[in-house]
Amino acid sequence: MSRQLIAGVDIGNSSTEVAIVEVCGNEAVFLTQHLVPTTGIKGTVTNIKGIKSCLQLAMSKINRTISEINIVRINDAVPVIGDLAMDVISETIITESSMIGHNPDTPGGEGIGIGQTILIEQLLQHAEENKPYIVVVSKKFDYEWVAYQFNKFERQGIQIKGVIVQKDDGVLIHNRLQMKVPIVDEVAMIDKVPIGKKAAIEVAPPGHVIRMLSNPFGLSTVFDLTPEETKQVAPVAKSLVGNRSAVVIRTPAGQIAERKIESGSITMVGNRMSVKVDVNDGADEIMESYKKIGVLNDVQGEQGTNAGAMLNGLRQDLAEVTDQTIHEIRITDLLAVDTKIPSSIRGALAGEITMESGVGLASMVQTKKTSIQTVSSLLEKELGVSVEVGGIEAEMAIAGALTTPGTERPIVILDMGGGSTDAATNDENGTIRTVHLAGAGDMVTLLINTELSLHDLELAEKIKKYPLGKLQSLYHMQLEDGTYLFSEEPFPPEAFGKVVIREEKGITPLPIRHSMEQIRTIRREAKRKVFVTNAIRALEQVLPTHNIRHISFVVMLGGSALDFEIPEMINDELSKYGIVAGFANIRGTEGPRNAVATGLVLSTLKRRDDRI
Amino acid sequence: MNYSYSIEMQMDDQSRAAKGSDPKEVVIAVSPAFGKALSKTIVSVEHSEVLREIISGIEEQGGVTRVIRNFETADLAFIGHLAAKLSGSGIGIGIQSRGTTIIHQRDLDPLSNLELFPQSPLITLETYRDIGRNAALYARGENVDPVPVVNDQMARPRYQAIAAILHLKEAQEIVRGKPAVNVDYSFTISEEETV
Repeated sequence: MSRQLIAGVDIGNSSTEVAIVEVCGNEAVFLTQHLVPTTGIKGTVTNIKGIKSCLQLAMSKINRTISEINIVRINDAVPVIGDLAMDVISETIITESSMIGHNPDTPGGEGIGIGQTILIEQLLQHAEENKPYIVVVSKKFDYEWVAYQFNKFERQGIQIKGVIVQKDDGVLIHNRLQMKVPIVDEVAMIDKVPIGKKAAIEVAPPGHVIRMLSNPFGLSTVFDLTPEETKQVAPVAKSLVGNRSAVVIRTPAGQIAERKIESGSITMVGNRMSVKVDVNDGADEIMESYKKIGVLNDVQGEQGTNAGAMLNGLRQDLAEVTDQTIHEIRITDLLAVDTKIPSSIRGALAGEITMESGVGLASMVQTKKTSIQTVSSLLEKELGVSVEVGGIEAEMAIAGALTTPGTERPIVILDMGGGSTDAATNDENGTIRTVHLAGAGDMVTLLINTELSLHDLELAEKIKKYPLGKLQSLYHMQLEDGTYLFSEEPFPPEAFGKVVIREEKGITPLPIRHSMEQIRTIRREAKRKVFVTNAIRALEQVLPTHNIRHISFVVMLGGSALDFEIPEMINDELSKYGIVAGFANIRGTEGPRNAVATGLVLSTLKRRDDRI
Repeated sequence: MNYSYSIEMQMDDQSRAAKGSDPKEVVIAVSPAFGKALSKTIVSVEHSEVLREIISGIEEQGGVTRVIRNFETADLAFIGHLAAKLSGSGIGIGIQSRGTTIIHQRDLDPLSNLELFPQSPLITLETYRDIGRNAALYARGENVDPVPVVNDQMARPRYQAIAAILHLKEAQEIVRGKPAVNVDYSFTISEEETV
């Protein structure tokens, strides 16, 4: 009986996988497999480069060459492509300088001081007794001299209630004062501080946050405000919440406004009805409306707004890729996610940053049939091996998933990749249902990148994939769960004291000041917002009954099922519905990878003996 | 009205420097000639001002400074590493008379470092303040952003000769076999008010 080498090739949104099997009659032996990043957009001829190198690498593992392969089977890539967009929907502006609420590392002293703002040079010339002052010190004065002058004033009976300093001198001045007062330092734009106005300064003890100035009624007490005025200053109080130090200066017209940017609305056209939602209403509102409209046919953005631009950009990209006109592109799925985008406040005095709200959109576009035939004929020419297009991707994935020990039909698979979250189910009658949802690993990377303002997608990708640690010394680090890890070899000096990503080999120090807990929370929230939401959505849609309580087993596949925490998060959520969920173990060895490639080669066997 | 003042530094060599135990302590080790045979850096900044900025940077972050003088070497890496080894926090700063500075940690190899500022002509007083601040932050075990290092291709040809002379003067002050000593330092500020 002749032996044949069959290669299954799965082209995914972000990775291309192969499985190579030796077939003799109905006996199949898996020889090797490999994975490379997909070149170009899935389902186009640009993939060939990646497929070729993947096959070469796989064959070289068993010391054989591509020419020995008899048949290459590629999947009929699902004609859906996803894209991402993210934008800010609110903005905080201070119209007249009226507050400084920032977190210098080391303010001086603690407590509250209320008085009139005055420059230190003015104070030297004419200081009045029994009048409380808040002194403003620019960077041209040395701390030693400033402290000396303050101590002299104090002996003269002049009341200094607080200090605003331009340099990082808060503790230095404080250490030299006989009469301790709160000091806010590192105020970069000190020349913009209004002089001769009533001001309040508050510094909280280490590890605490201010309480008086971040409370609207605290402000009304300090500045003796009417109920009407208290309403106006409420945004000031709000923007100071969580700071360790703050200064509020009352200027007649000063106000702080939180302005909502016109992000526009989107119209979702469904088979039952169409609904228009304002993007400002947030992700929950968008997803809630989505549920009402039935099957989504298309989404339109309001022209001339952020939402319109986001959706049009998306269409433009996809039209180019799929060689269709922009009017033929239909958006078939949309995932909206709320996010916090750090932005600097316009008009702020000390470079204050607020977390503005933003919204991220992932969308899925149904294209015309992708040109998989073109890909296969070109690949055949390139490799000199006969290439055939295998069956439907979902069917192959199910066939592959069923090689996991302990699984049986009916089965529900949840394929979580880089570009999309797909689900498929196959009942006893062999009927296959599939859904393809927007939002997966790439969306998580984008959320991490934005919320930590990294401006480095590669680094964000690493944060997503690996757990963190905080170096305590050159020989030990604290891990996320609070335990400690000792190292025989010293860590590199540039990582000293830093939060690091613990990759398999070595560590990468992070160039940001966030604590390990903050980064961990952002990472986990991003994963939860995308994958847990999508898992529920996918399962609801793929089941004929639309009720996820009607299933008992869910097998997770794809690159994101390899993640160290996503499967556990989904399992946690699905267990509330009494569902057993776990990641696949393809052929009992491969974990959640290689399902489609395995399914592709197995389907050749099944064709021969008609066992389906 | 102008407010001017001058700062003077007094440095007195004391007894032999022992290993510190205060976890807040950052040790600054100065080279043999610092503030004695030489009193200014390569760009004529007073040693007193340099030292005062580093000490201020450490104090602002809640650290405690101890200054020691090393006699055995003029090599910056070893001066810095000695400071780290004797420091209660394990963090030390080494500084040469011409102004070159290093932040060191006791577990590192002597020729490694946490931060190195190799081009002495380019180090400003603000940088010295930041060096002190960062050393104290390392001592606190915080996540530290390194102080930006400026680089000037022309600094080498312009200052190489004078750097060599300064190093020679420094090396002449070396006393073989003499252990490092604690240095008492104090600053006096005199104020002159001119109208």
